[in-house]
Amino acid sequence: MGSRIAGARAVLVLAVLLAGALAACPAAASLLRLDGAQQLDPATRTATRELLDAAESRLPPAMRAGPPVAVRWSRLPAGVAGRATRNTLLLNQDLREALLAPQAASDRSSGPSRGLLLATLVHELAHFHDRRHGLSRDPRLLDLAGWQERARKPGRERDNPFTDRSPDRYELASPAEFVAVNLEHYLLDPQYACRRPALHGYFSEHFGWAPVSSGCAPGIPYLDVADEGRDLLALLEPERVYEVDYLLAEGNHELMSRWGHSMLRLVICAPGREPGPECRLDLQHHRVLSFRAFVDDVQLSSWAGLTGGYPSRLFVLPLEQVVEEYTAVQLRGLRSIPLDLQAAEIAMLLERVGRLHWSYDGRYRFIGNNCAVETFKLLHDGVPRLAGERLAAITPTGLLSKLEDRGLADAGVLEDRAQALRHGYRFDSLEPRFQQMLEVARREFDAAPSGAGSRGVGVPSVFPAGTAAEWFALDPAERRPWLEQGTPRAGAALLLLEHAARRRQVAASRDWLKRRYLRADAVDPAVLEAVALTLQGLLQGSGLATRPALLLQGQPGYGVPQAAERQAVAERAAIHRERMDALMAELEEQVSPLLDPSLADGLAAIDANITALGERLRAQQRAEGAFVLP
Amino acid sequence: MIRPRPVSRTRFTVFAVLFALAAPVAASSFYTTSDALSGSVGGTSDGISATSGSFSDDKVVLAARDDAASFVASGGELRGARLEAALRHVREQLPAAREASDMELARAILTP
Repeated sequence: MGSRIAGARAVLVLAVLLAGALAACPAAASLLRLDGAQQLDPATRTATRELLDAAESRLPPAMRAGPPVAVRWSRLPAGVAGRATRNTLLLNQDLREALLAPQAASDRSSGPSRGLLLATLVHELAHFHDRRHGLSRDPRLLDLAGWQERARKPGRERDNPFTDRSPDRYELASPAEFVAVNLEHYLLDPQYACRRPALHGYFSEHFGWAPVSSGCAPGIPYLDVADEGRDLLALLEPERVYEVDYLLAEGNHELMSRWGHSMLRLVICAPGREPGPECRLDLQHHRVLSFRAFVDDVQLSSWAGLTGGYPSRLFVLPLEQVVEEYTAVQLRGLRSIPLDLQAAEIAMLLERVGRLHWSYDGRYRFIGNNCAVETFKLLHDGVPRLAGERLAAITPTGLLSKLEDRGLADAGVLEDRAQALRHGYRFDSLEPRFQQMLEVARREFDAAPSGAGSRGVGVPSVFPAGTAAEWFALDPAERRPWLEQGTPRAGAALLLLEHAARRRQVAASRDWLKRRYLRADAVDPAVLEAVALTLQGLLQGSGLATRPALLLQGQPGYGVPQAAERQAVAERAAIHRERMDALMAELEEQVSPLLDPSLADGLAAIDANITALGERLRAQQRAEGAFVLP
Repeated sequence: MIRPRPVSRTRFTVFAVLFALAAPVAASSFYTTSDALSGSVGGTSDGISATSGSFSDDKVVLAARDDAASFVASGGELRGARLEAALRHVREQLPAAREASDMELARAILTP
């Protein structure tokens, strides 16, 4: 129950000094009684009394109305500023001289100050208050603080993984210290409401009162890796979020994705659009919240995945990228089911996202802390109503079932399949689409066997594939003649297939390179070494996007970044991007010579096919006088 | 972490090939080197690098490509949300497009 002198408290002290004028007004009744006043010289006695009055003036009425607390100067270990014993609040007598020293600006940097004493008093008084009111045992406080509920068995985790951008790491020592440190900042730092909005709200509700707050920088800032141009620091604006969907990627046969993947989708309205159903089609503004293990070495190890060897990170991704990755690359379907949340609950959820983005440094565990567990915890900790719904689940489909059982998610939107596709409640895997497209093309060619143009010499007149797999297996050059003579319908079908062929070619090349990379004798070890180093650099760089607090190291401030920190993040992120660009260029140079020419040629041939087909389709449109995009 | 500005086509090809140099499993619960690399080539992992112009590098239109192809090929039966979004987007941006039918627009979106 002590409070230390050193560390992050300097920031708070500064805030206290800046807001110092407020402390001058004396409290009416005295909660704090000075013990041992007779042993103090008159100057110390007066100064101490003034200090106690200043502390009292900062307290909410509910704390001031508590039973009196005796305060005494006492011998305490160096480094301990104060201590709350059962009945008495002890202050380290070594700090007395700080009290008497003239309040000079240099106090800020020259160690103990009156500000520190004030913070210490409030910290210890918070312990007294907590003992009577049990804040540090309140489940809601523990949710907000980060001693999270477990999903597999009842109870809470022992550690608090919200370690980044802490105002004072001492808060992580125990829930009691968390309450004391945070009440200290709540009562003394006018920026607390901006930096820890959810906790500020919790304390204000508890006290039925709120301290003086400064104006906050708007929105919840996050590092937007999807942004190609402008500002790398984007804002989550609750008033623009129309709905939040539970986004489920269906499973496939891969070991790691058999159970599907849990995500949340923020249905964000385009700027200027009134929140409403129309926002559901503002797909380019939607963002997906996806928890993933961040594999920060070059080999993925199942063992590390099981035992917490990898960090668990919250990725904020553009929906379109997620849809592409699942439906077209992994060939897995997505279901997007709106959650029944009020606007105020959505705002709370987004605040929680901000806290995770800037402070969370958890560990991924295959069963105990996977994507479903993390998503459950985000809902549970973000929205108090959901905390009461017993949603704990360890699989993505398990979590969805619980959300449906509790009436929080209505999968009825999926019933009419065509409507679900049209409105984006479902995104189908492209896999069955391939065969559909192939059959369209075949039918079109069968119906008009001579085609729209001349077939050329030596080109077979029978469509050469009965299945999509057969079509993909053809050499790009064998597909080419068919691309050059179809109807618009056939052309559209073949365009989709050609893009799919390109993805397959990329995957094949990737496998080839992987094997080559792993076979040490295939490549000069010095080259491999250099490639590995560059990859490592790229990985570390990628890590920053999901743990952006690293970009603010050495910068004062905690919690949600405010104006000065936002500027710093944006500047540092821009520099960082340049470094990543350079690494990319370096990697390109290193690996180009390793590429298999035949694979690269295949890719080039497919690209040429796509270009030719695109030109043909455009020419057909122009010939018909149909609409063409400028 | 951060995606650079649109890359040249040759560069793009190399990166597309590099995709997952080291990742044995492309499972989505795991972020690996493949992600680090694929991020660099942009969301259109299988796309042709865009030429400069209005709609040819329009993200909404590019994202609707497969949906538009399905719609045209199926004679209007398969209608995905990305196509719906692109139809609305093009009509919002381009008064001339408001006269065109869904099918006409879808054909145009197919080959921006």
